[in-house]
Amino acid sequence: MSATRSPKVSERVAPKAAEPAPEQKKRGAHDDDGPDFRTLLHAWLESHRSSLLDSLRRLGKQPIGSFFTCLVMAVALSLPMGLSLLLSNVERLGGSWQRAAQISLYLKLDASSHDGEALREQIKGLPGVAEAEYVSREQALNEFQQQSGLGEALRELPENPLPGVVVVTPAQVDKPALEALRQRLAELPKVEAAQLDLVWVERLAAILKLGDRFVFGLTVLLVSALLLVIGNTIRLHIENRRTEIEVIKLVGGTDSYVRRPFLYMGALYGLGAGVLAWGVLAFGLNWLNDAVIGLSGLYGSDFALAGVPSADGLSLLLGAVLLGYIGAWIAVARHLSELAPR
Amino acid sequence: MIRFEQVAKRYPNGHVGLHELSFRVRRGEFLFVTGHSGAGKSTLLRLLLAMERPTSGKLLLAGQDLGQISNAQIPFLRRQIGVVFQNHQLLFDRTVFNNVALPLQILGLSKAEVAKRVDSALERVALSDKAELYPGDLSTGQQQRVGIARAIVHRPALLLADEPTGNLDPRLAAEIMGVFEDINRLGTSVLIASHDLALIARMRHRMLTLQRGRLIGDGEAGQ
Repeated sequence: MSATRSPKVSERVAPKAAEPAPEQKKRGAHDDDGPDFRTLLHAWLESHRSSLLDSLRRLGKQPIGSFFTCLVMAVALSLPMGLSLLLSNVERLGGSWQRAAQISLYLKLDASSHDGEALREQIKGLPGVAEAEYVSREQALNEFQQQSGLGEALRELPENPLPGVVVVTPAQVDKPALEALRQRLAELPKVEAAQLDLVWVERLAAILKLGDRFVFGLTVLLVSALLLVIGNTIRLHIENRRTEIEVIKLVGGTDSYVRRPFLYMGALYGLGAGVLAWGVLAFGLNWLNDAVIGLSGLYGSDFALAGVPSADGLSLLLGAVLLGYIGAWIAVARHLSELAPR
Repeated sequence: MIRFEQVAKRYPNGHVGLHELSFRVRRGEFLFVTGHSGAGKSTLLRLLLAMERPTSGKLLLAGQDLGQISNAQIPFLRRQIGVVFQNHQLLFDRTVFNNVALPLQILGLSKAEVAKRVDSALERVALSDKAELYPGDLSTGQQQRVGIARAIVHRPALLLADEPTGNLDPRLAAEIMGVFEDINRLGTSVLIASHDLALIARMRHRMLTLQRGRLIGDGEAGQ
């Protein structure tokens, strides 16, 4: 029936064939001149535009699969990033404690209140000293009685055993500088002993250093896992498009043309994962913050977790896009050569 | 257009695909390559498409030595060639239009130019009204014509076809051959690998006969 409705293909095209061959002339002319820069630029931009749109369309076709791939990547990204943010918060907290690191100068028992005040004035003028406070023998005894609960027993003592103290707050917390300052203060007249307790600061620094290393190791592991995830995802996309790739190669597609949509896909996965990770971190830190504020309030502190700084968030996005791109590149480079037309 | 000079192809497993083959094809010529399975027809096409390289001898296509061509040059060589496969190699998730447009998209032509050329190619194979359909909606013969449209849309200097009528009934096979002849009349060299001797004999074009990788005949079909 169709045969009666339409003439044979060869019959239908015969009149065309009888015409001169303008296309052949055109082809010859085009080959001789070669494409100009504008044409090449347009071709390049058009290829990128269509690759990007094609990648978006393919991701959109499988929204659930794409979302879960992004989610897995987001978890891999947000774990080290979240730990790193927590550590920097702890460092911030530690920093405020460090600023409170003080040198206690115990004065000789024969030093009078006048001596103590004079010493405080002298110390306050020294370089490296932010603050100096004199606690007289009487004040020290009063505080000790109140804080120790040994008020009655202390009252029985024949004389006040506590020395006057000058509490020095250093301008900066640097262990060698602090030690030098302590030695210098210890040599001042009327000073019996100078005590600097940095053990807890050192412990905290050691814990933070350990934390940093842990985060670094975790980052390396999770970035490797992320590259594997993206690589495997892209490999599956390549497998699904094997025939298409072979055909593209046979009709003159270059490796970069074949590679391009997969690289966009990797970058888009990275972008999605970065956005998700940023959201997860912002939400997670906000959620933790209520508990942290409550806890720090119990210690008389107004400490609160800082959220995800914009710069860190943007770095996270950029890093995620880059990782997606690199993962895709590795996968495509590995599998493209296997996809020679058959 | 094509020059084979003592071209041989040996595979690592010892199989010899072609034995020192020598022949020439002029620009605009219509040529059949025939022979039984394993005669070397596909090897010959694969060499012309630079999917494989000759083990020895010299193979020139439009002045380019395919034995020496770099991997980076291969895509640009293939842009001068149109290929039609027995199994069509169509992309079933793209419309007929987008299948045919593929070589032009690779060339980076503008949308308007792509549309113009695709329409022209589909008209040439009498499929203008099927542009928005998917290959799965078409008959085998129509799918083959889509494959031909894709092979000619970028106006190649050479059209290669590997058993293009292998899956078609005789009436459709004759129609497809008619399309190839029309394309050839426009100046494109056409080289068809086929073992359909009856069909070849009716067309009276030059025919190379291969047997176990050797050229055993070179003359007009049907003589």
